[in-house]
Amino acid sequence: MAQIQESGGGGHGKHDKKRAKRSSTHVDMTPMVDLAFLLLTFFVLTSTFSKPKVLRMIFPEKLDEKQQQQKAPEVKDGLTLLLTNNDKIFYYRGSLKPTTELIPIDYSKNGLRKVLVDYNSDLLIKLQDVQKRLNKLSESDTAGRRKLEEEVTSAQRVSKQIVLVKNDEGATYRNMIDVMDEFMITQIAKYYVIDDGMAKLEKDLIKKQSN
Amino acid sequence: MPKVKMPRSNPSLDMTPMVDLAFLLVTFFMLTSSFRTQEPVVVDPPTSTTKIEIPKQVFMITVDQQGRAYIDLTNPAVKAKVFEKVANQVGVKLEAESVKKFTGAGSIGLKISSIPEYLELEASERTNVKQTGVPYDTTGKKSELYWWAYYTRLEAHNDFKAREEEAKQRKLPFDKSNYIQFVVKAEADAKYDIVKHVIQVFRDAKVKQFQMITGLEAEPSLK
Repeated sequence: MAQIQESGGGGHGKHDKKRAKRSSTHVDMTPMVDLAFLLLTFFVLTSTFSKPKVLRMIFPEKLDEKQQQQKAPEVKDGLTLLLTNNDKIFYYRGSLKPTTELIPIDYSKNGLRKVLVDYNSDLLIKLQDVQKRLNKLSESDTAGRRKLEEEVTSAQRVSKQIVLVKNDEGATYRNMIDVMDEFMITQIAKYYVIDDGMAKLEKDLIKKQSN
Repeated sequence: MPKVKMPRSNPSLDMTPMVDLAFLLVTFFMLTSSFRTQEPVVVDPPTSTTKIEIPKQVFMITVDQQGRAYIDLTNPAVKAKVFEKVANQVGVKLEAESVKKFTGAGSIGLKISSIPEYLELEASERTNVKQTGVPYDTTGKKSELYWWAYYTRLEAHNDFKAREEEAKQRKLPFDKSNYIQFVVKAEADAKYDIVKHVIQVFRDAKVKQFQMITGLEAEPSLK
């Protein structure tokens, strides 16, 4: 839209002298700017910037009936986490006995993470050592890097620190993701979520503990 | 006193640089933005510290607090194929028109017999439809959700192979990250057992790997 010189359309026409109209080269850009900013605002508000992040979970294939009847090998010195309602979490070490004492913790940094870091300290020290050596290596040393990577996987493979996770009807999906996330942070190499959830004895122990 | 005549200045200013900038930004946002698709439910996923981004091609399973499952697939060609196969399996006749509409319909949580009717509606009317979730069975019977999972797994594999073959023939580099993956977006406050039931259906269909969508959380420290 080209700018139109004021041609005395308003009330002040009387006193104007008649002059030769100079055509202006200016183009009124206001409507265009309006439109541009309208579109800009629209796109700024509707676009989703960050892609969502994902946490990988791998579930083993379902066991057939014969395999289901086999008893799971007992974990002698494992750590078992029990997730229950109201964001409460308990843990115990070793195998389950009626006298087992459940220790209540929470999902905070000083709760679950501290327990897991203490439990996994052997592997963590090993991994930190590898990381230090990795930092010293030059960028181009691919053979050395690969060797250290292999060291990490073998350290994870031989790690004896096993964590079992069991939940009852009260545990939420958030609880489970929080626990998985803590495993990633504390580099637990072996953890298993028990499909059937808690055993009856564990539920009873929690009940006793809460009273 | 004589009046001082002020020189009449032109109030218009040069807006060219501003317009340049504005259009530059518009172009940038137009080209980079991806639109949020209309979703039948708002689900608030839990947070985690993971930095892995969502895969390019996904089969999205949305689970709300009541355990209703909604499904979506990002690849339209595969989505159409899976839709036809599941309908065929369950014994629902489809018209070509509804298959076409289905690929652009976003996340849907309905039983397959009522999907064509839903697709007839205008986009604005669809939001008023109360979706009951894709039916599934926790006892291991082959439900509709099972067939969705089953055929998606097959078609994802076929699609991957077909593209790999094509890339080989044309001697183009092949991008392996385009494999359709199963992504779960579940409500954080939903009970874990409920989410587990939905995942169980997919495990029955031999789907083993899942990516759980999570919100961002601050960098963790071990100390």
